[in-house]
Amino acid sequence: MSKGLFRISPGFEDVMPAEYKELVTNGPYGRDLGVKDLGTFKELIEEHPLCAGCAEALALRLILASLPSPEDTVIVGSTGCSSLLFTQVAVQNIHSLFGNQNAVATGLKRALRLRFPDKVKDVVVIAGDGATVDIGLDMVMQSWFRRELITTIMLDNEVYANTGGQESGMSPQGAVLYMAPLGKKFPKVNLPEIAREAGCAYVATISPALPRRLGKVVRRAILVAREIGPSYVQVFCPCPTNFKWPSAQVLQKIRDRQKEGIFKVREYVSPEAEAYLAGLEVERQHDEQE
Amino acid sequence: MYVTVRVEVEKCSGCKLCIVSCPDPNVLAFIPEAKHVVVNEHRCKGCGLCATVCPEEALTVSGN
Repeated sequence: MSKGLFRISPGFEDVMPAEYKELVTNGPYGRDLGVKDLGTFKELIEEHPLCAGCAEALALRLILASLPSPEDTVIVGSTGCSSLLFTQVAVQNIHSLFGNQNAVATGLKRALRLRFPDKVKDVVVIAGDGATVDIGLDMVMQSWFRRELITTIMLDNEVYANTGGQESGMSPQGAVLYMAPLGKKFPKVNLPEIAREAGCAYVATISPALPRRLGKVVRRAILVAREIGPSYVQVFCPCPTNFKWPSAQVLQKIRDRQKEGIFKVREYVSPEAEAYLAGLEVERQHDEQE
Repeated sequence: MYVTVRVEVEKCSGCKLCIVSCPDPNVLAFIPEAKHVVVNEHRCKGCGLCATVCPEEALTVSGN
């Protein structure tokens, strides 16, 4: 998508919605903006119907603010709370069947490479824990085995939140939920380790309680997926509605879990990816000096 | 009247912690000239996350 598409045709200035006008004049396209600049530009999400205090919405907001080039990004979503939000996002996005997101992203990435051989097009999969770990694990892992150049971001809210609160593979052991009254019998699936073994060049776990670090992680994951190999980011954002927490306490609960050692912020970078990222950093510093 | 957050402009130091803690987009905006944040009250859902992270206690959830 060219940046030139984001303009208002002459004569239509007075009938376009104010939100669209703001996106054209003060949007993030073609500008090097990140999490630190939030609040000073028009964000890519307009509004969303997710609950008050939703950590997943916060994570998505931070992820979308840290895309390296939003005008050349295609987001592949899947069924879940996050799919309610993507109808109101000003980035190219596609909704796939539940669990098929990485298969759809594979085809999309290959087609984009044939259609735009001289351009960088990022394909980013953003799906919930149900779509990534439970229903779509087959497609997710097969895309990693094939070393597809896509970024997979999992929003780990630890529950099937918008179907009433069934347990997912990512629910913590013993979690009692609306539709899991006996408590979950087995621990959380360790997908970051699986991702590393399956061939991901960059694997990270992060939470929206560390916003700047989240922005950095997402940016690095997308840059690695441009050249080196698949990347995986797991964003820990438990659902306050299903875990029955007051909405204002979500970030504190995440920090508590981190303090207890149940959730750990981790980052794995393969040697090739590390060399590539170091090269980009040198290039950036060189550009800044000039 | 909906629940919404209010900013006490005199207390706000402009650290922008509230902006990166708000789950809703385009609610809190930063005014670089005045170095403080402003709230779009029509969009705020009143979850209170911004008030819990504010080190200056400049934000209060009110309205109900």
